[in-house]
Amino acid sequence: MKLYGKVVGTNIPRADAKEKVTGTALFIDDLRFPRTLIMKVLRAKVPHAIINSINIDNAEKMPGVHKVFTGKSLGLDKNHLFGTCIFDQPPIAIDKVRHAGEVIAVVIAETESQALVAIKEIDVNLEELPFVLDAIEAADPNAPLIHEQNGNYRHVPTFVPIPKSNVFYMYQLKKGDHEEVFKDAEIIVEDEFEYPLMNHAAIEPHGAIARWDHTGDIHVWSSSQAPFVLREVLSDYFDIKQMTKLHIHIPYLGGGFGGKSDYTIEPLVTLAAKLVPGYHVKFVLTRKEVFIGSVLGRGMKGFMKLGAKSDGTLVGIEATQYYSDGAYGDTGCNVVLAGGHNCVGPYYFPNCNLKSFGVYTNSTPVGAFRGYGHPEGQFMVERLIDKIALKLDMNPNQLRMKNFLQHGDTNSLGQIVTRHNGDIRKCFTQTVAKLNETSLPPEDEEYFYGRAVVGLIKSPVQTANASSTVFLKFNEDLTVNISIGGVEMGQGCLTVLAQIASQTLHIPVERIRINYEINTQLTPYEWQTVASMTTMRVGNAIIIACEEAIKKFKTNAAEVWNCSLNDIVYNGTRVSYQDKTLSLKELVLGYQYPDGHTLGNPILSTGSSVVRNVTFPDLETGQYQPYEWTYGSQGVDLKINKTTGKISILHFVTALDAGKIINPALAEGQITGGVMQGIGQALKEKIEYDESGNMITTNLRKYAIPRLSDMPEKYSCIFIETPQPDGPFGARPIAEHPAIGPPSVILNAIQRATGISLTSIPVTTERMLELLRNGGE
Amino acid sequence: MELNIIVNKKAYTFEVEPSDSLLDILREKLNLTGTKNGCKQGHCGACTVVVNGKAVKSCITKARKLENANIVTIEGISSDFSLHAIQEAFIEATGVQCGFCTPGYIMELYALFNANPEVGKEDINKALEKHLCRCTGYKPIVQSAMLAQQKIRKE
Repeated sequence: MKLYGKVVGTNIPRADAKEKVTGTALFIDDLRFPRTLIMKVLRAKVPHAIINSINIDNAEKMPGVHKVFTGKSLGLDKNHLFGTCIFDQPPIAIDKVRHAGEVIAVVIAETESQALVAIKEIDVNLEELPFVLDAIEAADPNAPLIHEQNGNYRHVPTFVPIPKSNVFYMYQLKKGDHEEVFKDAEIIVEDEFEYPLMNHAAIEPHGAIARWDHTGDIHVWSSSQAPFVLREVLSDYFDIKQMTKLHIHIPYLGGGFGGKSDYTIEPLVTLAAKLVPGYHVKFVLTRKEVFIGSVLGRGMKGFMKLGAKSDGTLVGIEATQYYSDGAYGDTGCNVVLAGGHNCVGPYYFPNCNLKSFGVYTNSTPVGAFRGYGHPEGQFMVERLIDKIALKLDMNPNQLRMKNFLQHGDTNSLGQIVTRHNGDIRKCFTQTVAKLNETSLPPEDEEYFYGRAVVGLIKSPVQTANASSTVFLKFNEDLTVNISIGGVEMGQGCLTVLAQIASQTLHIPVERIRINYEINTQLTPYEWQTVASMTTMRVGNAIIIACEEAIKKFKTNAAEVWNCSLNDIVYNGTRVSYQDKTLSLKELVLGYQYPDGHTLGNPILSTGSSVVRNVTFPDLETGQYQPYEWTYGSQGVDLKINKTTGKISILHFVTALDAGKIINPALAEGQITGGVMQGIGQALKEKIEYDESGNMITTNLRKYAIPRLSDMPEKYSCIFIETPQPDGPFGARPIAEHPAIGPPSVILNAIQRATGISLTSIPVTTERMLELLRNGGE
Repeated sequence: MELNIIVNKKAYTFEVEPSDSLLDILREKLNLTGTKNGCKQGHCGACTVVVNGKAVKSCITKARKLENANIVTIEGISSDFSLHAIQEAFIEATGVQCGFCTPGYIMELYALFNANPEVGKEDINKALEKHLCRCTGYKPIVQSAMLAQQKIRKE
């Protein structure tokens, strides 16, 4: 008897690989439908303005044009807005413009070129207003007010705005003696930091297609990580009385990284389609529009102060972070929360006083980005810990080891840390040991060399009742279909989830198909594919569905044998009881006797997984119960060319306590990809605006994401596997984590190599050269 | 203008504008959507196809330069149900994540290895440097290219 019990933990090939290497995998722009019209938009090109008038008369008369509209031409109500936490956004500018990329008019035409010609015929009269891009300046009471209605918008109770200001959300976390944070401190270090706005730069641009049927049904295809959030937002905004009318379809996503988790263009495309019932309206962003007309990430300016005893024991932390969240706040508010409380990193501080502000600015709105507030905050704490080490003349690695959270500690949020949370010390020492396998060369004529190691921590930020559900059916030939609502965007969920199902059902993984035809009418509910939670939450739902299916095979057999369910043994090919056996094939549609009469039922099951014990932040202390934690550590060896300023990564080590690794090759691919994104943020990437408030970095040359030549000479990935008690086979989240540490660890290594202390990124080659020439900033 | 081209061994004649891009001709006239549009500015390499034996970015290749061109796209490199060695290598060496940049990389290497199966590592890296991938951190792509070369040498 063969049990297929060993597929978890092995490198099976990706389920979606053949489609992707042959070009047959369909992405949003590949979908073809009859009666398709192309949508193009006119954007404001000024960051803050009153819309006096927009004349669309000539544009409407252009060849091939079906509709042209503006917020005013449709008579949109400026108080009717969409959102999920803070309802502050219209699908198109109505009375005022809040960022230069904001849509002010839309053309729907037969072809793209006809739409582009018609757009040129639109006359715009805008009255420009003073604008503000910097979050700290925008938080000033005298700054230009971007939302006059701030404070009056519908919002969930935990997101408290400051009315008559640009602060749409202020989060505060207090732990211990938050008023006298540093009363036990013998030394204090502090600094100001900047983690600029960045772009996800998925290679696939975001797009959506919408159609309103004459039946009142609405179909939306979108490259979205969050079909069910989209359904909620659209049904709320368009007042759709029944969700059975809304069909959200998701094709493959060409990368997400959080940039496709927030709704962006979907309400506007759906609004456009409503004007041409029966037609598909297609809108795929150009690369420039991905930068100016979707969502950005990061954008934090902050101040942090740490106190320690002279033996290096940390005693307190104070931080204030300002997040420049762009023209609309809904997509940024949870990042402000996560960045607020996770800036402490994996360290124990008895006293915390942490504030973070979500601030409206006149930039493209800001949303989720791989790491979700954690890279921003932990950039500060890891830089300052090195500063303490310097000040105390202590080994920075020993300083970290001394202060890492351990079993029994209470973290900033008030949670008690337990052993099952993972082993940060093991991650850290193994990272150090891995780097030590090669000695770092001493400074020579051409190069400085630097090495550093940091810790990291991340919790999945998710709503308190986030859930995953799955449907499972056994086919007559004992193949299995499992429907999920999780989105495949490259992370490999179709593969890993099949491995989990295979091992639970004891059947070969080749016989399992995780269905990938997401349609909210047919697909079971999934909160959204974010927070690195798909393996864990959907995996758990799949285990429950598989166990239910096994139970149903046993139930069928128990009816035949007239015995107790508990006495029946299942092994993936048959069930047995004492000396009797029945093959699964004999039971899969129920058991049929030779004379035809049948007992039992076909095998069909469901499973669900809801996060438990997660609460909303307390309004007074900011403390709450988020979900579980993943600890990790990252280390770097780098060299800096003294004549060019070029920083080359020699070796980048990542150790994560990820619990059970379901597919090591796929997990390693998440690590190398996340590290490369983090290195890009440390050394290359920054969104920049010109004096008129228009973005400069609107293509992939000016916004330079890493290329092959930026790759570390060597990557090392270490997995510590402390089991997560409630994870599938002990797995816990890992996908965002490798993007957290690179900025801090690289800047720490630069300081150790050159003595130059930096508090902002990116450290481009040009900037490094300038710093070397001037001996600092 | 009238354009005569061969795409994946089949001859076509189109009425096009001289400034039309090869990418649009492939995707919109032939519905060959395996060639991807990542930026339409020649920056990302996702749209790479092979024209007269050379890998080119189809988004910046204009119709006026394509008369009688012989074009191979991702749809044209595997026969029946068997994959090309480069495609196999990308699967085995986990060079695929989201898959959006994958056809471009495969076509780049297809031209490179067809011209010289013994091409050196430096030239392979130079070819891969023209492409952007946001998922893998590049290591799996380099490994896929190396594995592809091994497979092609054995054939």
